[in-house]
Amino acid sequence: MALRPEVPSAAAEDDAGLFDPAFLQSLETLALASRRRVQGVHRGERRSIARGRGVEFADYRPYEPGDDYRYIDWHIASRLDRLVVKMFTEEEDLQVHLLVDASASMLVGTPPKLALARRLAAAIGYIALVNLDRVTVSAVTSAPGPSLGALRGRRRAVDLFQFLAGVRGGGATDLGGALRRLLWTARRGSLLVLFSDLLDPHGYERALREALYHRCSVFLVHILAEEEIAPPLSGDVRLVDVETGESVEITADPDTLRLYAEAVEEFTQGVERFCARCGIDYLRTLSSVPAEVLVTRYLRQGGLLE
Amino acid sequence: MILGAPAFLWALASVPLILLLHLLRLRRRTHPVSSVLLWRRSGPALSSSRPLRRIERTLLLLLQVLAACALGLGLARPEVVATSLGGGGLVLVLDGSFSMRARDVAPTRFDRARAEAEALLRRVRPGQQVAVVVAAPRPELLTPLTSDLGRARAALRGASPWDAPGDVAGAVALARSLAPAGRVRVAVWTDAAHGRLPALPGVAYHAVGRSDDNVGITAFRVFRDPAREEAFLRVQNFGSLSRTVPVVVRLGTTPIARATLQLGPGQARSLTVPLGGGGRLRAELQVEDAVPEDNVAETLAGPAPTPSVLLVGPADPDLLRLLRALPAGRVAATSRADPALWGGVDVVVLNRVAPPALPPGNYLVLGAVPGGLPVDADGALPQSAPAAWDPTDPLLRFVDLRGIHVTGGLRLEVSGGRTVVDAGSPLVWVYEGRGVRVVLFAFSLDRTDLPRRVAFPVLLTNVLLFLGGSPPEGVVGEGLQLPSGGASRAVLTTPDGSRVPVRAEGGVLVLPPFRRAGIYRLEDGGRTREIAVTRPPGDAGLIRPGRLPAPLGDGAERALLRARVSLWPWLLGVAAAAALGEWALATRRRGGDT
Repeated sequence: MALRPEVPSAAAEDDAGLFDPAFLQSLETLALASRRRVQGVHRGERRSIARGRGVEFADYRPYEPGDDYRYIDWHIASRLDRLVVKMFTEEEDLQVHLLVDASASMLVGTPPKLALARRLAAAIGYIALVNLDRVTVSAVTSAPGPSLGALRGRRRAVDLFQFLAGVRGGGATDLGGALRRLLWTARRGSLLVLFSDLLDPHGYERALREALYHRCSVFLVHILAEEEIAPPLSGDVRLVDVETGESVEITADPDTLRLYAEAVEEFTQGVERFCARCGIDYLRTLSSVPAEVLVTRYLRQGGLLE
Repeated sequence: MILGAPAFLWALASVPLILLLHLLRLRRRTHPVSSVLLWRRSGPALSSSRPLRRIERTLLLLLQVLAACALGLGLARPEVVATSLGGGGLVLVLDGSFSMRARDVAPTRFDRARAEAEALLRRVRPGQQVAVVVAAPRPELLTPLTSDLGRARAALRGASPWDAPGDVAGAVALARSLAPAGRVRVAVWTDAAHGRLPALPGVAYHAVGRSDDNVGITAFRVFRDPAREEAFLRVQNFGSLSRTVPVVVRLGTTPIARATLQLGPGQARSLTVPLGGGGRLRAELQVEDAVPEDNVAETLAGPAPTPSVLLVGPADPDLLRLLRALPAGRVAATSRADPALWGGVDVVVLNRVAPPALPPGNYLVLGAVPGGLPVDADGALPQSAPAAWDPTDPLLRFVDLRGIHVTGGLRLEVSGGRTVVDAGSPLVWVYEGRGVRVVLFAFSLDRTDLPRRVAFPVLLTNVLLFLGGSPPEGVVGEGLQLPSGGASRAVLTTPDGSRVPVRAEGGVLVLPPFRRAGIYRLEDGGRTREIAVTRPPGDAGLIRPGRLPAPLGDGAERALLRARVSLWPWLLGVAAAAALGEWALATRRRGGDT
């Protein structure tokens, strides 16, 4: 029987507040950048692929029966004796899906990877809410996890933070199942931000491809712990997987540690290559990097924020 | 470094055992990881499947090896000599007493002292002067102050203890006299078994020995008289526990007496054994104690020899006739007082002859006072008669001096020897020492009626037995002068078989002080003489270590006293700390928090 060692509890984290007010205020100057024109449900502050009642002129087209008379350009009609309708860019809201990997592996690290994932999700979600985008947040676990959807407006930030503070880690990783459940309800063109360590025994590639198939913009925040990059091991050790309970016996001599470092490098390079090939924005970070630094510096450089 | 129990060094064999246990994979710690996915990709199973692994520099292994090494070394009880010797000369004084032969510290007290002295010698700076002194019965200066450390080291290695108490205080005084005051430091290794030692500036004492367990033979001699011959044996228990001591006395290889003595602490018992033949007589105590050397003693047994006699001085027909009638070998007479002629004679009778000095030998002096003796003639002796004498004295055995008259002679003023017959002034005086044995009559035979009494031949027989009736005997720590008998050189063979050449000077063979007890053999020309040498009577066998004086001075003595530093308490402390640390670390790791 494989041993299941104890892992740090998410409850041990500081849930008193995900961010201080000053930081939240600085977030209000930011907005999510979507590389595609979105097609929302409500009028928002984003250019929609739908042409309609916006204020920004887009183009002319010949009048067709049924068009609103208010959009006929009467100056052109008087000069050219032809009816032309003005078109405007419709401003709609952006649907943002925040997926936080809450598997047991995210509890590893100092601080735990899940802590950074929750803070980043809170920051991005807050930015989206301030910009009148619609936010859905879900915890990724092997079983259908908790989710909170259709948040809109600054006032729902409290609900968002309370939900994230209540996310507890545990269980195995199933990225494919979680994304599949999300995509059943997600609109095409949504922005999907995934916070995960991608240590899924079933792989991460298929799940991300399905998201792209649904024409979602995907931004992947790959979180690793220092202990996973350079494990502080020596001597004979039985390594136990905190999710599956499987174990591997190793002798942590310099050769073994070197081989492991090469495997980690190959894994991260593979993720990076996959994302570049599929057009997925990718950011890799360590759990020890402060969320504030990531938001104000690297996520802007990575193109998620503007 | 000095090891008190070197056998415990075998404990260091546990170090390769620990390494072997680390090579064999006996235990694995459990460590949680986020996923074993990447570990499986890295192929670590290859290294974990090997039956042996490389020795890694882990703290646990280091602590285990450290604990094992410290424990093994600590149990071996190492001591180091760590001193600040300072400047000036350094004199190493080794107690050469018989008690330093004790084996209560391995291998013997003297060997331990020598090892410590050699260790101290290794710390001497180049150019510093060192001397070596052995506290023998007469202190021996083996090397004067010298910068040649090799010579000092050779002297230390050649030193050996004596079979007699050493004069430690005299040796210290000799050591301090080697250089002006304050320019020499003295390190003394002693058991202080023979009295307190003086606390002196610049002198540091190092104690050696811890036991008082010794039973020894303190006297073993043969007494002869015309009627019988018997051996006298004295055994003493110097320890603080009662002992049962079986004793065997052998003549040659034949046991002639056995006894078992019950000896309380400090108690002594004596035995007399009648003898019926000649040869080497050996007494053995069948006990186990710290000093086996004094459990054996040897002496010589045999009938009293008939001495050769030379009458020197005016002819006395009555005396000459009597001498020829007594059990004497060759009897001759001469009027010429030439000491060169006396070497080959056992007893010289000086009849009213007073040479300025007596060469070594045995003398009966009648009516004269030779020079060189602790006696002087102070006027004439008036008419007198023996007033006091000791009838138990061997010289006066069966001698009745009542009614004897002396009409004239010499009034003697003695400053040594012993008076055998007294009449207000010594009439018969005996002296032994300086190589001579003298019986001196304060009167000549023509001034007394003694020759006409029956006591005279008996007295003369006793005198000849006393002067020439026993083989020469010696005492450890003292030399011996013997008549050369015309030989110019001789060879002295010691009990351990070594041969020492001896030269004759002035008709006398001067033997060096004896170091060991036993039977010596002296060969001069065609004659061979055996000499029984015994340990000096008294407390030579006392080995109980005494108290050493506290050091004086400016701390230099303390530095020398610190010369021997015990390392084992520190090593055992390190072993305990390492074991505790290893246990704590192993416990913490077992919890998974590496």
